[in-house]
Amino acid sequence: MPRISPLALMALLGGLLMAASHPVILLYAPLEEQMGIIQKIFYLHLPLAWWGLFSFFLVFIASLLFLIRRDYFWDTLAEAGAEAGLVLAALTLVTGMIWARVSWNTWWTWDPRLSTTLILSFIYAGYMLTRGLDFSRERRALISAALGIVAFLDVPLVFFSAKLWPQTMHPQVVTGPKAGGLEPEMKLTLFFCLAAFGVFWAALLILRCRLGLAANRLEGLRARLALKENTPKEQDHG
Amino acid sequence: MIRPALILARKDLTLLCLRGNGLSQALLLGLLLIFIFSLARGLAELFSAQTAATVFWVSTLFCQVLIFNALYALEEDNGQRQVLLLIPAPVQSIWLGKALAGLALLLAAQAVFVPAVLIFLDQGLEGRTEWAPGLLILADLGLAAAGSLLGAIAQGRAAKESLLSLILFPLLLPLLLAAIRLGAGILSEPPAQEDLASWFRILIGFDCLFAAAGLVLFPFIYNAQE
Repeated sequence: MPRISPLALMALLGGLLMAASHPVILLYAPLEEQMGIIQKIFYLHLPLAWWGLFSFFLVFIASLLFLIRRDYFWDTLAEAGAEAGLVLAALTLVTGMIWARVSWNTWWTWDPRLSTTLILSFIYAGYMLTRGLDFSRERRALISAALGIVAFLDVPLVFFSAKLWPQTMHPQVVTGPKAGGLEPEMKLTLFFCLAAFGVFWAALLILRCRLGLAANRLEGLRARLALKENTPKEQDHG
Repeated sequence: MIRPALILARKDLTLLCLRGNGLSQALLLGLLLIFIFSLARGLAELFSAQTAATVFWVSTLFCQVLIFNALYALEEDNGQRQVLLLIPAPVQSIWLGKALAGLALLLAAQAVFVPAVLIFLDQGLEGRTEWAPGLLILADLGLAAAGSLLGAIAQGRAAKESLLSLILFPLLLPLLLAAIRLGAGILSEPPAQEDLASWFRILIGFDCLFAAAGLVLFPFIYNAQE
């Protein structure tokens, strides 16, 4: 019997759970009285946002650990976390905008959470740009780690300043249904979706991390091969 | 650490001022931006104080990117980064020196931008004018600390100015928001309900964060082998 890797099982489980979350969202969770069917996007939006934020936190931790331990595994993990976080943050923005269009009648408005998510996406897009530069491996890892730390420490300031900024649109809608007072069925649906996205997110992260480690190994092998090929020539010259 | 930093800042300022190119480019870009934004005003319309403050700080930001690129290019373009690292002083003194030079250049540029905003955007100093020195110094301290920390990253890359802007601007957003609100409060009387002291707190928090980040993280960014 062929051996199935735990990662493949995890990805499969994540996919199945995500597929199962749709009937739960549409059939099990009750319809919200004021907002109607559009409120159901919230069950996708919140897990995306939470796991996205968690990815950025992971970048921070991995960056810190890289600076302390100088182990390239942490650098690869930070890269995987930033990529996953960027995708999830972008999806958070898209689902949030669809909800806002129906609920607030506008695609975009100044709201601390919206603005913070957008600014975070810009910050980590800049981080990914830096990672793409042609530095030596060591310098790229060090610069990215420093940037990953600064970026995350900046987040509270971004959020507080976005909160202080004068707001024009109905902020009570944000604090209304989301601030609490969820029906038990709604809560259960939400936790189910959080778990489903969590499994999928973890599988994605591990897969990306393994890809990064394989790329690192390939780079090392290529460097060694190049060294081997060059050594005899140099001896000839000598 | 302070003395080598001061010497470095003096050297950078002398070089940039003698050659003139770095600072005059930054100044011209800022002035041009202020002038171009003035086109957004209709014939009988007035710019709000907030719009004017935004234009002023956006010009400052672009100017900052040019200034820090020019400051780091002094060594990097000639492949002399290792020479700077050989200075018998902590690596952080390079960060401090570049930050001090950048701060001086930013303040000099703003001495030109302030009258430009008052003239081109038709503004008066009708608000809390006494806050202006505090705002300029606190905001520029943050800009200099962040610019000096990250300015070295983009050196030697294609399109280094736009690259540095993409890395810096999102991180500077809290500082920019605070500086715009406070700037608007200086140009016209701020609304009574607005808590402007909190904006000063954001500025100070930002300055502390980037000063600490510069002291701790700069060696990692600048010291590594190419």
